Amino acid sequence: MSEPNPSPGRAEIPVDPTSTHAASPFIRTRSPLPMLAFASPPTAPPTVPTWVLYRSKIELALSLLAYLMVLVGTLVFIQANPTEPWRYDVLGLPLVPGAIALWLFVRALGRLGELQKRIQMQAFGFSLGATALIAFAYGFLEGAGLPHLNWIILVPIEVLMWSVGTLIFALRHR
Amino acid sequence: MKNRIRVLRAEQAWSQAELAQRLGVSRQTVNAIETGKFDPSLPLAFGMARMFNRRIEDIFESEIVAEPAGRSPNRLG
Repeated sequence: MSEPNPSPGRAEIPVDPTSTHAASPFIRTRSPLPMLAFASPPTAPPTVPTWVLYRSKIELALSLLAYLMVLVGTLVFIQANPTEPWRYDVLGLPLVPGAIALWLFVRALGRLGELQKRIQMQAFGFSLGATALIAFAYGFLEGAGLPHLNWIILVPIEVLMWSVGTLIFALRHR
Repeated sequence: MKNRIRVLRAEQAWSQAELAQRLGVSRQTVNAIETGKFDPSLPLAFGMARMFNRRIEDIFESEIVAEPAGRSPNRLG
């Protein structure tokens, strides 16, 4: 006669792993989807050689040097040949490196950062207005008797006002 | 426009120069944005959001008070 198999005790019931129990706070759930499209911040850009950072300035300096060299060479040549009929063509030669310098300058402006572009825009506006104001004011003073000045002096005045404007507006954004 | 760039940058332990290099702008630009003297363009704001892995509105806060809905700001009365 066999005895009925007794029901297993509480201690003998196998315990489910907590991760599979329906009421367990440790139940495995799907990981939340990222709310942002950016999975991780991008890595730092690779460092570039120093000369690349100053490439625009180096190119601009070289073009200005070429302009000065051609200008001096042209003047020497014209002084040695003052009566030649093609002297006017030779005098136009410095315009070539000058035009290259102008193009490099405008290209460098286009490559500035957005804050630097804003500062330069304000500095150019200040330079234009201040130079015009100085020119008009001196024009009235000339009428009152001050000596007449060559109009070419407006160029260094404009450059000076541009430098002052750049300094003022750069300090305002510090 | 207010922003939390200084705090977020400190959390990442980045200097202004390091953040500027990562964004491809000058250190002066980062400083001007942090102090509220300059508002960045949309591409730069998106670049910052990407850099800090946040949304733009989590970084920048507009100081302009929005008009109530249904009212045109150009209409008086």
